[in-house]
Amino acid sequence: MSTIPQEVLDIAEGIRSMRIRGAGKIARSAAEALRIAAEKYQGEREPSVFRRYMAKVADTLIETRPTAVSLPNAVMYVMQAVFRQTSDFDELRRGVVDAANRFIEDSLNAVKRIAEFGSKRIRENSVILTHCHSTAAVSVITEAYKQGRVVKVYSTETRPFYQGRITTRQLLENGVPVVQIPDSAVRYIMHEVDQVVIGADTITSNGAVVNKVGTSQVALAAHEARVRVFVAAETYKFSPMTVIGELVPIEFRDPTEVVPREWLEKHKNVRVLNPSFDVTPPEYVDAVITEAGVIPPQAAIMVLTERLGWAIDKIKQAGLTKLRFEDLVED
Amino acid sequence: MDILNESLKVAGGRDCRGLVRFLKEKYLLYARERPGSAGLFNTIRSILNYIRENGCTGVREFVEGFRDRYDKALWAASEVMAKRVVDGDVVMTNSNSVAVRRLFEILVRNKVKFSVYVLESRPGMEGLVLADYLDKLGVETYLVVDSAARFFMKNVDKVVSGAEAVAVNGAIVSKAGTSLMALAASEARVRFFAIAPTLKISLETIYGELVKLPEGDWRLLMDEETRRAMPEKYTARAPLYDVTPPNMVDGIATELGLYPPQSIPILVKTIYGTYPPQLKPLDTLFAELLGGG
Repeated sequence: MSTIPQEVLDIAEGIRSMRIRGAGKIARSAAEALRIAAEKYQGEREPSVFRRYMAKVADTLIETRPTAVSLPNAVMYVMQAVFRQTSDFDELRRGVVDAANRFIEDSLNAVKRIAEFGSKRIRENSVILTHCHSTAAVSVITEAYKQGRVVKVYSTETRPFYQGRITTRQLLENGVPVVQIPDSAVRYIMHEVDQVVIGADTITSNGAVVNKVGTSQVALAAHEARVRVFVAAETYKFSPMTVIGELVPIEFRDPTEVVPREWLEKHKNVRVLNPSFDVTPPEYVDAVITEAGVIPPQAAIMVLTERLGWAIDKIKQAGLTKLRFEDLVED
Repeated sequence: MDILNESLKVAGGRDCRGLVRFLKEKYLLYARERPGSAGLFNTIRSILNYIRENGCTGVREFVEGFRDRYDKALWAASEVMAKRVVDGDVVMTNSNSVAVRRLFEILVRNKVKFSVYVLESRPGMEGLVLADYLDKLGVETYLVVDSAARFFMKNVDKVVSGAEAVAVNGAIVSKAGTSLMALAASEARVRFFAIAPTLKISLETIYGELVKLPEGDWRLLMDEETRRAMPEKYTARAPLYDVTPPNMVDGIATELGLYPPQSIPILVKTIYGTYPPQLKPLDTLFAELLGGG
């Protein structure tokens, strides 16, 4: 059996050590690693041997960051091509390289297309509110501003890490007028807001949006005020694991992100709880803007089955955490 | 009530014009900077009415008596709220209200077992001060960012807040973020209570006056150094208070008992004898007592 090329191992290590970070970059790097692996394959020109080799590469990649949804999605997308029924080795390998290239290209174009689709949903003279920092959301807002439809943007600070300051800076650099508000002012300001545009970390099979903590109460306040909520998210943020009922794990981060260590040590009866994400139910989301089009959040299951149907079948059999592509290879 | 203690300092002697002038100064300052301070305006009105009816004689004693009555009312309101918290309850609150602190003190004294989620309460971060107070009381406390209110609401049994003012329709003016916390409570069917002695009822709202809410700017959100690192055009709005609508309020704990927010007019009638109460605007009272000055 052919050994895994060093370049591929380097990418895997880069993802593990977080040298390669951000959902999009991780996904594209994984697809690239699979492409390189296919191109540099030196082994027997026999589909089943090639499949076993590619499965090993896939398993190596997925193990690096098991919780980031974009990574398994990229790998599964490419692996669909690996498991295509054919006895022609060259055709099979070409198919894999094409799939990897298509994934990378789609991913690079995704934000552009999301900006294009999303900006059309912004009405004339809109005041927009956004939470945290999302490249896709900033792109939608900037594009709508260029088309002359955005009057003002409210950007929440987003404690504890103040990612809202990044959003504010980027929008100001794009010439968009922004006003920063503390997270506690979201309901106070909502009556001035026409539309909410936010990003997503993960979208579940029932259309729930997992995103930076506070997102769900932004959406709740918008819902109360009958303000539309748009979520800008690439399709690789949709989680195939949730189809079989897996919960999206919510990370609790270090309390010192919220208060200094000395404060914690002085207050033994106080525990600081610091969840990174919360879950916005689909009924508070008016539309999810993906590069494949605008969908109601409840249609997330359609995106998942259309784009990752093959992978979902495999996950149903084994569960993602136990899913090993090597086990799927038939001799 | 700092205003009452300060009033006592200037209330010496038979001539109390100095006191009236002091109150006018405070009134103008608060009308400009903290226009939602119903308790302060009502206090000033009471002192002015006393002087109008009785002259300067006994004003010191009146102010002292008023201060003691207010302090008792605040305790009584917290006592009423304390009866609604039972063993095992998880309470969520924000900011650092005196009334809410007293509630926790009473609960500890009554040996009620409870725990508290405290929101850090940007921009002032008063939640840290309250968490410090709870720590000293020995209460199991969870400090979380304001954004996490809805995330933890499922774990909570009751939400409690103090009040800067209570509008006549039962709306609660309180620390910024309270209305968002109340909304999350309402969504999760968690009860929301405000503790407010009746002195906090904004009588001006009976005549259609809106409670005006002050705002700060970036200075409340970051230090000079951080500001310098931001783009020149960076601007921010930091509201200090917000309004929680009566439909999200399950009860207002006052010294006269726990009232539904919609029953504020009944409370006003109980206290002032008529509804609407016969009130002279503060400007008129000052003009009468100071002769147009």
